[in-house]
Amino acid sequence: MAEQPLLDVRDLSLRYPGPRGAVRALEGVSLSLSRGRVMGLVGESGSGKSSLVMALLGLPGTGAVLDAASMQFDGLDLRQQAAALRGRRIGMVFQDPGSALNPAMTIGAQVAEPLVRHLRMSRQDALDRAAALLTEVGIARAESVVRAYPHQLSGGMKQRAVIATALACEPELLLLDEPTTALDVTVEAQILDLLDRLRRERGVGMLLVSHNLGIVDRLCDDLTVLYAGRVVEQGAAATLLAAPRHPYTRGLLAAVPRADRGRMGRLAPIPGGLPDLTRPDPGCNFRPRCAFALPSCAAPQALAPQDGRLVRCHRAEAVGLAPLPGVTGAPPPPPRRPSDAPLLIATELTKTFRLGRPGLALRGGRLALRRPAELRAVDDVSFHVARGEVLGLVGESGCGKSTLGRMVLRLLGADAGRLRFDGQPVTDRPAVEFRRRAQIVFQNPNSSLNPRQTVEQALRWPLVRFGLARGAAADREVDRLLELVRLPSSYRARYPHQMSGGEKQRIGIARALASRPDFVVCDEAVSALDVSVQAAVLNLLSDLRDELGLAYLFISHDIGVIAHLADRIAVMYRGAIVEIGTAEQVLSPAYHPYTEALLSAVPLVGSGGRAARRVRLTGDASAVPDGAGCRFAPRCPRRIGGVCDTVPPPVRQPAPGHRIACHLPLETLAAIPPALGEAA
Amino acid sequence: MAGFVGRRLLSVVAIVWAMTVLVFGIVHLLPGSVAHMILGEFATADAIATLERRLGLNDPLWLQYWRWFSALLRGDFGLSLTMDRPAGPLILEALGRSAILAGISIVLVALLGMALGIHSAVKRGSVEDQVLTIAQYVFIAIPEFFWCILAILLFASWLGWLPATGYTPMGEGGVLRWASHLVLPVATLALGLTAHVSRMVRSSMLEALDSHYVLAARAKGMPERVVLWRHALPNALLPAITVLAIDVGLLIGGIVVAETVFSYPGLGRLLIYAIENQDLPLMMGGMIVVTAAYALANLVADLLYALLNPRIRYGGAA
Repeated sequence: MAEQPLLDVRDLSLRYPGPRGAVRALEGVSLSLSRGRVMGLVGESGSGKSSLVMALLGLPGTGAVLDAASMQFDGLDLRQQAAALRGRRIGMVFQDPGSALNPAMTIGAQVAEPLVRHLRMSRQDALDRAAALLTEVGIARAESVVRAYPHQLSGGMKQRAVIATALACEPELLLLDEPTTALDVTVEAQILDLLDRLRRERGVGMLLVSHNLGIVDRLCDDLTVLYAGRVVEQGAAATLLAAPRHPYTRGLLAAVPRADRGRMGRLAPIPGGLPDLTRPDPGCNFRPRCAFALPSCAAPQALAPQDGRLVRCHRAEAVGLAPLPGVTGAPPPPPRRPSDAPLLIATELTKTFRLGRPGLALRGGRLALRRPAELRAVDDVSFHVARGEVLGLVGESGCGKSTLGRMVLRLLGADAGRLRFDGQPVTDRPAVEFRRRAQIVFQNPNSSLNPRQTVEQALRWPLVRFGLARGAAADREVDRLLELVRLPSSYRARYPHQMSGGEKQRIGIARALASRPDFVVCDEAVSALDVSVQAAVLNLLSDLRDELGLAYLFISHDIGVIAHLADRIAVMYRGAIVEIGTAEQVLSPAYHPYTEALLSAVPLVGSGGRAARRVRLTGDASAVPDGAGCRFAPRCPRRIGGVCDTVPPPVRQPAPGHRIACHLPLETLAAIPPALGEAA
Repeated sequence: MAGFVGRRLLSVVAIVWAMTVLVFGIVHLLPGSVAHMILGEFATADAIATLERRLGLNDPLWLQYWRWFSALLRGDFGLSLTMDRPAGPLILEALGRSAILAGISIVLVALLGMALGIHSAVKRGSVEDQVLTIAQYVFIAIPEFFWCILAILLFASWLGWLPATGYTPMGEGGVLRWASHLVLPVATLALGLTAHVSRMVRSSMLEALDSHYVLAARAKGMPERVVLWRHALPNALLPAITVLAIDVGLLIGGIVVAETVFSYPGLGRLLIYAIENQDLPLMMGGMIVVTAAYALANLVADLLYALLNPRIRYGGAA
């Protein structure tokens, strides 16, 4: 006897009419979800994931034209009833809790609002219930949090409050749009645990939009893969992730750098970009990017059952398990030995930020000088980077990794410490030659490229500035740079808004390379990109290292990316490096307890949510006061006792070049079991 | 919050004090002698020297400043040179009449500006919004003296509905006559500023309506009315308050113009009179009072801002 599904959507199409013709955001999307089950929704940005969620809520935006054979929630037609159901029986959790909470309202008022509105509770009852909800989602001291404003909470607490709001009226369906993307990995793990518990204990059905396949694997029963508004593959999550059939799904999986695989050589990016959604393509719309495309792919494709799932590809069976071209010819690279001669040596770098301004304050009826609070963003950090070496720097937001990246370029002055580059000391106001040889690639290509400069202007300026080339020679140099980042020469006349995110980031890299540097700081250089584009940029960076012998300080919060690219890894926590060593040393025991927690928090594809062992940290990095002892002690699951709070941890050396700052004896650190499944 | 109010009050005091130094400095650096001004063009050198001694004009500048400043602290603005009466009561009386003008105008600007701004934001892109937008730019672009003259021509000379100039105290001609003298100056003062404020409210309201927390409120199933008034408006008002405080400065400038054109006996006209007749005590006193009024208006705006913005009220992250 088939139970009536909680959510049943048949042939949903969504169009946004525009001056250039209607944008077809969704075309014939069908999905069905039962109570207590979780369906994942994946695809690149622009594939229509968020449009689908907003359409289900009845909020597809102004001018949207919605068309569906059926769109039912528990037997009710969502096209008419969505407004009455949302907030009551359908809850919604947005990506960025920082912007989804109203800054001018207390947390309690925001959680209680739907209760008062939908359940006709009295204000006081609703606030009491809000406190209970906040406790349920794991917020301590909920009674005081009820009266707090969003800016007083950390990111993880805000997302818990958003989830509490969505849960207020005990909805049967929860729509989650990238619920952990804005959060740190240890906090993300806490939120995923919470969602998992809600599903098990309350039987809430969930539709989870995510670009992170590890999260999908950890939480989802079913999976729908969207490409440019169409479902290309649909079925059980475990089946799809273990053996994807559609070339697009296979491409997505092959493009992800994975923490548990270590250095696997080249990733397989999906070439090209999304098709123009204003031009309907009756055939397979993935075929311009597909390695297996044939002329017959131009015929309309149906979503057909195959191997226990639905696939929209008539070639899926014929292609079978033929390897993706990008993956085939990729033997692991020969063990490259970066030269031992250090290129950059940082010694005891320290930077303190003042929070607020000094001023006068009334204290006890008397005027007193108020000293501003101080934050040690970078505290006594020493490391080196050898020629042709990639040093990965990982850590959670606010740990000081970007500050450190700017300090080693002297873009930000240090309060103390020394810096040597190629044997020479670098002063606070470095010589032009240092600026030429040490460059930076920023995270966000939208804000780091001048919108009023063409590519050519952006690339020519460093050539002129450092006196490297002018006239026709500069022209040739611009061409060479574009070729280096695999862009055609025709791009020189383009402005930033005429390029995609991945193309802009390549220009950012080309600009950094224009002065022929030896050392480049990559500050979250691939974090804003889709996996397919990220794979291409990562391949490019590793090729450039091999071709030009570049050294990188590669800053990222994504352990998969770091594990893929880095020769050595430094783990940073609250301004200090707690562990540093070769990639193999850091990614396998002995671990610093923080490294262990960080690695075990990474959701991995293929583990099916059955990760052997999880170390969960409570709270987040910002909640720790500065003390004399180990800064990780308040959150450390392996804390010994008082000594951790009062005495700075000694540096242990399990192997040459591998340093761990921890009070635990080496034998204990070495006995920690691997945290990454099959560690690299 | 108490510390915040205390700090802001301190800064108001500091600003007014700095203004006394500035006003005193400028006046005393100007060419020409005070005694010369008082005695007129044909005074003998001897008479001037005697008067300078009597007024203490030969004392060091800091002593003269201290004398003026300490008198100011006691509420003594000195003697008006041209009217031969204490400047304090003159300024106070004019200030009262200007305050009526300014007060009514600013309340009108705030209410009308917000109402129009919210309306165009909610009806974004509609014909109403487009007409309002054009009108707003017209009123922002054309200075108020143009509207003053146009208003006099239209309502006073041609239609004869309202008096063009002057002022009648409420006690003399009744409320209606008193009010009839206020209509034209208030209307011309408020027009340009209303356009300015409504423009700002519109854009900050649009920003709030496009925000994620408004989307989140809709996803919570809140009706549009609640989304608008409880979620969007309080956040949209913050920048509007800042703009209003800045506009108080524009308003003070506008009052000088409007009072002159409409011959309204307020502080603006008194200042112009003092400048034209080089009546230094009157001029200095008037300027200090204007500064203090502006600083206090900004203080009120700051406090209002803090009241609406929990980030200021409750400091940084917990």
